[in-house]
Amino acid sequence: MVISPIHYIFVPLVAAFAIPLLSKINKELPRIIPGIVMFYNIIISFVLMQEVNEVGYISEVIAGWEAPWGINLVITPFSGFLVSLISVLGFLIWLYGFRFKKVIDAGELRSYNILQMMMITGAIGIIITGDIFNMFVFLEIVAITAISLTSFYRGRDGAEAGFKYLLIGGFASALILLAILILYTQVGTLNMAEIAERMHTVPQGIKATILLLFIVGFGIEAELFPLNGWAPDAYSQAPGPTSSAFAGIVVKAGVYGLIRIIFTLFDVDGAYDFLITAGLITMIIAEASALRQTNLKRMLAYSSIGQMGLALIAFGIGTKEAVFGAMFLLFNHAVIKSLLFMTGSILIYNSKDKTINSLSGIAKKLPFISILFAIGAFAIVGLPPFSGFWSKLYVLTAAADENMILLIAAILAVSVVEIVYYFRVVGKLYFPDKESNIEVYRPKFNAMIAMGVLGVVILVIGFYPDLITGYLHNAADILLDKASYIRFVLNADLPIQ
Amino acid sequence: MNIFFLLITILFSGALLTFLVNKVAPKISGIVTFATIALVSFLFFTQVNIGDTFQFTLGEIPMQFGITPYTFIFAIIVLGLGTLASLYSIGYMKDQERLGYFYSNFLLSVTGMIGIVFSQDFITFFIFWEIMTWSSYLIVIYNGYNSRKIGMKYMIFSAIGAYAMLTAIVSIKANYGTFNIAEAIQNGAFNFSENIYIPVLLLVGFAVKAALMPLHVWAPNAYSKSPMSFTSIFSGAMSKMGILGIGLVLASAYSYTNHDNANYVTALRYALGWLGGITAVMATIYALIQTHAKKLLAYSSVAQLGYIIVGLSTGTELGVMAALFLAVVHGIFKGALFMVVGAVERQVGTTDMTKISGLIRKMPFTFFVALVSIIALAGVPPLGGFVGKWMLYEALITESNNYFLVIVIFFSSTAAFLYSYRFLFGLFLGQEEKETEHVKEAPITMVIPMMILAILLIVTGAFPGVLFEPIAHGMHYLGFSDVNWSMSVLVNIWGEESNMTYINLSIGVVFVVVFAFLTIKGYKGTKNVGTKDISTSGEIPTENENLTFQLDFFKPFERAAAPLYKRSMDKIWNDLGNAFEALTDFTRKIYTGNGQTYAVYVVIFLVILLLMKDTLFAN
Repeated sequence: MVISPIHYIFVPLVAAFAIPLLSKINKELPRIIPGIVMFYNIIISFVLMQEVNEVGYISEVIAGWEAPWGINLVITPFSGFLVSLISVLGFLIWLYGFRFKKVIDAGELRSYNILQMMMITGAIGIIITGDIFNMFVFLEIVAITAISLTSFYRGRDGAEAGFKYLLIGGFASALILLAILILYTQVGTLNMAEIAERMHTVPQGIKATILLLFIVGFGIEAELFPLNGWAPDAYSQAPGPTSSAFAGIVVKAGVYGLIRIIFTLFDVDGAYDFLITAGLITMIIAEASALRQTNLKRMLAYSSIGQMGLALIAFGIGTKEAVFGAMFLLFNHAVIKSLLFMTGSILIYNSKDKTINSLSGIAKKLPFISILFAIGAFAIVGLPPFSGFWSKLYVLTAAADENMILLIAAILAVSVVEIVYYFRVVGKLYFPDKESNIEVYRPKFNAMIAMGVLGVVILVIGFYPDLITGYLHNAADILLDKASYIRFVLNADLPIQ
Repeated sequence: MNIFFLLITILFSGALLTFLVNKVAPKISGIVTFATIALVSFLFFTQVNIGDTFQFTLGEIPMQFGITPYTFIFAIIVLGLGTLASLYSIGYMKDQERLGYFYSNFLLSVTGMIGIVFSQDFITFFIFWEIMTWSSYLIVIYNGYNSRKIGMKYMIFSAIGAYAMLTAIVSIKANYGTFNIAEAIQNGAFNFSENIYIPVLLLVGFAVKAALMPLHVWAPNAYSKSPMSFTSIFSGAMSKMGILGIGLVLASAYSYTNHDNANYVTALRYALGWLGGITAVMATIYALIQTHAKKLLAYSSVAQLGYIIVGLSTGTELGVMAALFLAVVHGIFKGALFMVVGAVERQVGTTDMTKISGLIRKMPFTFFVALVSIIALAGVPPLGGFVGKWMLYEALITESNNYFLVIVIFFSSTAAFLYSYRFLFGLFLGQEEKETEHVKEAPITMVIPMMILAILLIVTGAFPGVLFEPIAHGMHYLGFSDVNWSMSVLVNIWGEESNMTYINLSIGVVFVVVFAFLTIKGYKGTKNVGTKDISTSGEIPTENENLTFQLDFFKPFERAAAPLYKRSMDKIWNDLGNAFEALTDFTRKIYTGNGQTYAVYVVIFLVILLLMKDTLFAN
C-alpha cells in the first residue's frame, strides 16, 4: 500500500506545532526539522507519483466521510507532478537557506522556518485537495505565510511590500470566498467532482460570474495582469530563499488553482480564449517592464510574471500537446527561476545597492555562482541545449498546430526582449566596466549543493528531455479528461486507467 | 557508436575538457582545442561517406543526422578552416586571459556549425544553430566592456533571425507534418504557392547570419571586435551557414517553380539579388574609409557575402555554382586575411593603417599570404576569386538579363580594388616606421595555417575543378537536373579543364615578366625615402599639417561619397531600438509602486470583466 497523501498536511502541521517546543531542547532543531519534513515530502511524492502514473487517480477520504460529504484529497498525474516538483524545490530551498546569512542575522529563525514550511504545505494542499472550500483554506495559509515572509526584514521596504501583498491578497480571498458562496447556493456541494457534474444546471449568467470571480481571485496568486502589482515588490523584498519559493512554489499553486477550476469545474466556451488573451497581455507587459529594470530581483520578478503569462497561453491553447508544453514550462520555470533567484540573491547580497550595475565583474570573485546564473539565464530564454528550449518548442509546436502564427510571433518577439535583458546581466557579470575590489561573501557549501543540483537538472533535462516527457504526456491527457475525474472521485473504488 | 554521434560527442567533450584543463594548465587548452578539431576532421574525412545517415529520438522528436553532397561542401569549409584557425589560435591567444572561456566557446561554435552541416531535420538544425549563436556571442564579448554593446547587437539580430526561423519550422511541422528537411521540401514547404511566409521567414533567419542588408549591421563590429583567430572562422565559415540555408531554400523554390508561383519566385529572386547587390556596394564603400585593417576586412566580408547572395539569386546553374564556389574561396581567403591581421595585431600591437607601414621586410611570410589572399579577394587572375567572379558575371549577363545588377556588382568589385590596395599598402608597403623596428615575423604556429590557406588559394585558382566536383555533386543533389551543362570553356572541367590552366599560366607568366621588367627597369632610379621625407618647396609646414600619406588615404573618394555615409542602416536600427526601449519604459510606469493603485486595478479589472461576461463566455 502506498503512503496516504494526508501525510503531506499532517506531518508539517505537527512539526510546526512541535518546533517552538523543541527549540527549548536544542537551538538548532528549528532549522533542522523543516529539512527532515521536506525530505519526507519528497519520499511521499515520488512514491505517489509512481503509483498515480500507473493507476491514473488516487483518492483519500478524510475521516471516513465519503466523497460528496467529507473532504477528500485527490492526486492526479498533474497534481502528483506539481507536488513532487514543489517538494523537491522545497527541500532544495531549505538546503539553500539553511545557513543563509541574512536570515540568521535577523534572529527570527524559528518563525522563518515555520513560515516557510507552512507556505509549502499550503501550496501542496491547494494542489491535492478535492474540495473547493478546502482549497480556499490552503490558499489562505499560503497567503498569510507569504505576506509574513515578504515583510520578514524589519524595515520600511519590507513593510511596504508586505502591505501591498496584504491588500491585494485580501481581494483575492474575498473574491474566491464570494465565488464559492455563490457556487454553493447553485450546486449545493463543495466537492469539486460533484460541482463539475452539476455545473450544467447552473444558469449561464451566474456561471460566468462565478468563473470571473474565481479567475480574478486566483489570477492574483497566478500573477495575471493587471492583478500582479504586488509581485515585483514582494519578490524583491522577501529573503532570497523566499523569492525562490514564490517563483517555484506559490505561483505554481495559483496557476494550478486557475487551471483546475477552468478545466475541471467549468465548461464554458471562451474561457480558453480568455486565458490566451490574458496570458498574452501579462507576458508582453511584464517582459517590457523587465527590460528597463535596474534592480536585479525586480527584473527576475517581472520575468517570472512573463513566464507565467506564457504558461497560461499554453494552457489556453487547450490541446493535449499544448497542455503538455505548459506543464513542461511549469517544470522549467520552477527549476530555472528558483536557481536564478538563489544565485541572484547571493549576487545582490554582495552588491552595494542591489542594482545590476553594481554587479559588474563579480564573476571573478564568484565564478561558480556566476556560471550558474548564466546557465539559468540561457535556459530561461530558451536557448538549446538547456531545458528551457524544449518547453518553448513544445508550446510553439502546439500553437502552430492550431495555426496561431501571430501568437507564435508575439511569444518569440518577447523572447528577444528576454534575451536582451538577461544577456545584459550576464555580460555585466563577466566583463567589468572597471576593476573593482569588493569583499565578497561566499555562499556556504549547502547553498552550493542546492544550486548545483538545479543547474545539473537544467543541463540533464536539456540534453535528455525524455526523462520527464512521458510522464507529462500522461498528466496532460488525464487533466483534459474531465469525465474520468468525476467518475473516479464519486466512486473512488474503481481505479480508472 | 555511430560516427555522427561520436563526432558531436567528441566536440562537446572537447569543449568541456578544454574548459577544465585551463584551470590546471592554461597553456594546454589551445592544444586540446586543436587536437579535438583535428581529430574530428580526420575522422570525418576518413570514416564518413556522403549519404550516411543516423537517427535517434530526443524529446519525442527524431533527431536526424547525415551528410548530403550539398552539405559536404560546407563541411569542408567548417572543418578545414576550423582546424587551421584553432592551430593559429594557439599562437595568437598565447598569454591572454580566460583561455578556458575562449577555447570552450570556440569549440562550441565549431560544434554548432558541424551540427548544422550534419542535421537532416529542422529541430537538430535549430538546436545547433542556437548553440553556434550563443557561443559566438560569448566570444564577441570576450574583449570586454566596449564589446558588450556590439555583442548585444549581434545577439539581438541573431535572436530575431533565429526566431523567425523557429516560427517557420513549427509552421512547417503544422502544415506539412514533418521536421525532416528533405521531406518538407518534397511536400512543397518552399514552393511559394501556399504559406509563402514559411520560406520568407527562413530566409530572414539565414540572411542575418549571411549579413545581408538590412540585417547586416551587427557584422562589421562583431567581426572586428572578436579575437582574430575566431573571426577567421566567424567570417569564413559561420557566415556560410547562412549561405547554406539560403541556397537550400532558393534551390528548392526553383525546382518547384510552376505557373502558380512563378511570379513569387521571380519577385523573390529580384529582391534577394538587389539586396545582395546593394549590400555589396554599400559595404565596399564603407570598407574604403576604414582606417583599421580589421574593420576594413569586416566590411569587405559583408560585401563578399553580397556577391554570393547575388549568385544564389540568379537561380541558374552557373550562377549558383559561382556562388558556392565563391563561398568556399571566400572562406579560404577571408580566413587567411583575418589571420594576417591577427598576426599584425599581435606583433605590432595595432592594426591602424595610419600608424603601421612597411611590414613587408619584418613579416615576409605574412605579407605573402596577404598578397595571395588580396589577389583572390580582388578577383584578379590567376586565383580563385577571379574564376568565381567570372562565372558570376557570365551568369548575370548571359542567363538572367539583369544588367543593372551587373553594373552594381561591377562597380563594387572595382571599388574593392581600392580597399584591397589600401590594405596591402597600408600595412606592408611604404617606408618602415621607427615604431615598428622591433617587429618580428609571427610565430610558426601562426604562419603555418596562413601558408596552408595561401597554398590552397593558389591550388583552387589553378585547378578550380578540385572545388567544382563536390559543388557539382551538391548542386545535383539540390535538384539542378543537368549539372553537366555547357558553359564557357573557361571553367569547364568536364573535358576541357586544361583551358583554365592555360589562361592562368599565361596570365601568371605575363605577371612575372612585367613585374621583373618593372623591377629591373626601376631598380637604378630607386632610392629609399622616409615617410616624412617630402619636398615642401621651401615652405615650412605648420605643426598640425598632415605630412604622411597614410592619413586621408582616399580622401577625395570619401568626399565624393559623403552623402552616402550620412545615412546608415545602423542609425535607423539604433533609433528603432531606442524608440522601443522608450515604449517599454512607458509600460513600466503601469507599475506605479503604489498599493492603492494596484487595488484599483483589481477592482476595475473585475468590473470590466463582469460587464463583458456575456461576450466573453458564451455557452
